[in-house]
Amino acid sequence: MTSYLVRRIGQMGLTLFLIITLTFFLVEAQPGDYASFYVLNPDLPPEVKDEIRAAFGLDKPVWQQYLIHLKNTFTGNFGVSFGNFPRPVMDVLAERVPRTLVLFLTATAASFYIGFFLGKAIAWRRGGLFEYAATISGATLFTAFTPAFGLMMIWVFAFKLGWFPVGKFLDPLVWRGADVSANYVFGNMLLSAAAFIFFALFVMLLLKKFGRRMPSAVAVPVILGGAAVILLAWTFSGIGGLALDIVKHMVLPVVTLTLISFAGTMLLTRNSMLETIREDYVMAARAKGLPDRQVRDRHAARNAMLPVVTSLVYSLIFAIDGSVIIESVFSWPGTGLTLLQAVRSEDLPLVMGAMLFIGVLSLLAHVMVDVLYVFLDPRIRYQ
Amino acid sequence: MRPNGWLAFFGLMLALSLLLGCTREVVKEVIVTPVPGPTATSQPEATAVPVETSAATSESETENEGPATTAAVSSGSETEKVYRIGIAEDLTTTNHWAYLGPDGTVWNGYVLGGSKPALYGYSAQRYDWVPSLAADFPEPLKEVMVDGEPFWTTEVELIEGVKWSDGNDVTAADFAFTANTAAEMQLTGNWPSIVDPEYFDHAETDGPNRLKIFFKQKPGLARWQFGLAFMPIFSRAYWEPVVVEARQAGDATEQQKALYSHIPEGEPSAGGFIFGQWERGAFAGKDRNPDYSFSGTEVALYANGAYSTSTAGLNEFTAYGEPGGETVLEYVEGPYSESTIYSIYGSQDAAVLALKKGDIDFMLNPLGLSKGFQEQLQGEAGLTTLENSSNGVRYLGFNFRKEPMNNRAFRQAVATLIDKEFLVDTVLQGVAIPIYTMVPEGNGAWYNPGVPLIGKGLTRQERIGRAVELLKEAGFTWETEPRVSEDGNFVEQQGEGLKMPNGEPVPAMEVLAPSPGYDPLRSTFAIWIERWLGEVGIPLRANLTGFNVIVDKVFNQQDFDMWILGWGLSAFPDYLEAFFHSRHSGLEGHNPGGYNNPEFDRLADELLAETDLESARQQVFEMQAFLAEDLPYVVLFDTPIVETYRSERIEFPYTETWGGLQSAAGMPGLVNFK
Repeated sequence: MTSYLVRRIGQMGLTLFLIITLTFFLVEAQPGDYASFYVLNPDLPPEVKDEIRAAFGLDKPVWQQYLIHLKNTFTGNFGVSFGNFPRPVMDVLAERVPRTLVLFLTATAASFYIGFFLGKAIAWRRGGLFEYAATISGATLFTAFTPAFGLMMIWVFAFKLGWFPVGKFLDPLVWRGADVSANYVFGNMLLSAAAFIFFALFVMLLLKKFGRRMPSAVAVPVILGGAAVILLAWTFSGIGGLALDIVKHMVLPVVTLTLISFAGTMLLTRNSMLETIREDYVMAARAKGLPDRQVRDRHAARNAMLPVVTSLVYSLIFAIDGSVIIESVFSWPGTGLTLLQAVRSEDLPLVMGAMLFIGVLSLLAHVMVDVLYVFLDPRIRYQ
Repeated sequence: MRPNGWLAFFGLMLALSLLLGCTREVVKEVIVTPVPGPTATSQPEATAVPVETSAATSESETENEGPATTAAVSSGSETEKVYRIGIAEDLTTTNHWAYLGPDGTVWNGYVLGGSKPALYGYSAQRYDWVPSLAADFPEPLKEVMVDGEPFWTTEVELIEGVKWSDGNDVTAADFAFTANTAAEMQLTGNWPSIVDPEYFDHAETDGPNRLKIFFKQKPGLARWQFGLAFMPIFSRAYWEPVVVEARQAGDATEQQKALYSHIPEGEPSAGGFIFGQWERGAFAGKDRNPDYSFSGTEVALYANGAYSTSTAGLNEFTAYGEPGGETVLEYVEGPYSESTIYSIYGSQDAAVLALKKGDIDFMLNPLGLSKGFQEQLQGEAGLTTLENSSNGVRYLGFNFRKEPMNNRAFRQAVATLIDKEFLVDTVLQGVAIPIYTMVPEGNGAWYNPGVPLIGKGLTRQERIGRAVELLKEAGFTWETEPRVSEDGNFVEQQGEGLKMPNGEPVPAMEVLAPSPGYDPLRSTFAIWIERWLGEVGIPLRANLTGFNVIVDKVFNQQDFDMWILGWGLSAFPDYLEAFFHSRHSGLEGHNPGGYNNPEFDRLADELLAETDLESARQQVFEMQAFLAEDLPYVVLFDTPIVETYRSERIEFPYTETWGGLQSAAGMPGLVNFK
């Protein structure tokens, strides 16, 4: 396993180098550069235009810019964003990542839960009306044109019905005069979610250890109690109202994302379940006379989870990447929207920083999935 | 790890998370600008816009009557006077030095503008050049010798008693500090077009309210009256320590970076608002400056051309004639709103829906509303749509380095063949306005009504006939000459085998134009120009491509035949020199076509050095006459700027303004509530 990991990390390094090189030259191949914005100003004397290019480092030959960029990247210096001059790239990304994480992790969790639940249900009861309805509606939503669907959701639920705000992630009138930034609230929301997950896992671990003395019926109230404590902490934190405002703004994009993406998990689970329920151990469980639900959830679904969990891990990692379309439609300024704006304005350092960030995380995701396989399926061994 | 270890780990994580979730941290990012105080005008700063008496031509205003069905004014805003504006992109800085430097986006300008005083500005609607912080017009320029060195100098008296929001006086020392800092630190971006290092030497004070400015050479109107005089003035008390610290940092570039990276906290304002809060990606807010010195200033413009302002206890000023007779505009300077909030929307769709829903009162966009959005907002209760002229041109340019584009008759024939009225009225359904000159008619003070408008009003048959005549006179020949049907409605015989005066065939040519996705209007023009020229045998192909591709090929490589692009213009037409003087025809110059007319160059040089408005006008008139004949550009059209605001809630003292309300950043200092 260790030698396998070492080899994979070596491959990661090479892939990363290729990502950096390709991205650099793709962005560089666009006509013009960031300084063109100023060069088109007829009031600027030529020497001033040269100075502007020099200030952005654009006066050097491309190969020299590439080498400098390569050196800076491997020494952890991502440079300064042209479009937010002179703000460091990492500063811009650090500001945008929490916003994307909160939105996309919530949507990913929701779509996986719904997708997994529906997937196992339709696989278990094949041929029924429910299967057809779920499959057709899921596939329809899965193939919907995202920008149009997003705008339609805003038009119906935000504009016509007035249930939700029209885009954005907060209401300026609520946040006027607030002495904390939105990122501080986002950070705490992420921490609270992590706390809740740890608590739930902690309770389940306790159940496993003291299962005989601690009936499972106790678990749900305890976990709910944990959630209540966290909510109580928010209520008295003084920023609960601000968090609530963010949650209010999250609902519509999360619902939209969930509707668009749950079908992927649903169909994956369904296919995996269909294979699993043909296994002998499922038949044995049925033959023992176990309740149908127990056979489905504890024997079939658990073994059908492997590809679904793999897909979930990828989705969680790529949640950081966000979505250019969803973030644009819902005016949610996360990493996706930042990347789009950086590409459009040829803000090379920011594009490179964002791409590198996404590249590293996706490579890590692949390694994580490889490792996770070993734990999920003891039959897998790497040579 | 054994289960007990896991238990301990989870327990620890839970405790830590809860602890962090409940603590509260005051984050430095949020800029809460405190101290109240006073200043300048509500006009946007320093952006080059017009001069004297240019009639603002508002073309229509449509108010949609009826009860507002969309209600929904957000919490608290009904009782509080908060002016809610939507913008499409986030700020990139709150540092005004950086905004005029490398962060010169229009969005920064909308939000940050209006907080700094300037010596002079433009009057509303007519764009007269009028004093703002200055008490009167400056003294005429005179040549002096200082330590054996020649300088051109002028002196300006400032209004006494104008305050910064921190209670300090706005003085001549603030101006001198700002201009000297920009020059000494060699600030980049837009700074050199305001403080031109080739002209400005330094500024001195003579007492708190008297300013003496030294120029290295005689500055024309563009460098002094419409350049340095519009410079936003920074508070010396606040910025001097920052500048001193920045100047300790390495070379000029490092020093600039240090200055631009400073995040102002508690920076005093001398405008109607004090910058309050910026939540990145979400909104920015400004709060009313209760001590704004010019609050309550009465401004009046008269039909006879006179202009007057009166600020109780501070200053009274009149110019351009004796105030009297019919008043064409009268208003009292605000601000009337408690705050202005700029909500950032990632897309125009979302901003338009927010406007319809009542979440915002107005949306700022330098291009106004596109046709689709105009239709969406049409008929919405509680909203009013405005249409104003904008100051810009879309043009067809020629590469004078190649044949036959270097032939004047050829260019005139091309201009004759382009039927702008047909395209605008029939194909584009009136979304644009055909124009013929580089100084649009709306710029009344500088527009020369006497220049020939080639092709205007001709029928299809007449156009082709005239173009053929022009080409024949210049020595062009055809193997098959074009022929139009008797009723003039179609071309019976296309021209073929067109040859240049030297007997060589006219080469296949290409016109670069923006793609339909970027600008459907210009791409439509390009397609029709290809067709019309093809009918007389001119082999032209429209290449619809990306904006950056055109800029790169035209300005950076000069590898093209013709191109279609556009310019936003300033009211003072010194851009004629920048676009057409032969010294700008090198790579990356603004005369990429290579137009070269020594007589025009002489006039352009004179314009740059001219200090008298009337003489400058004559020079501009003559320059327009040259351009109308020589046609380095065939000016095509401009688009009106269409905007919508929530008239059931807010009102403006006037809405007819060149460039629309966005040119005044949505008038936060003048907007009032119903």
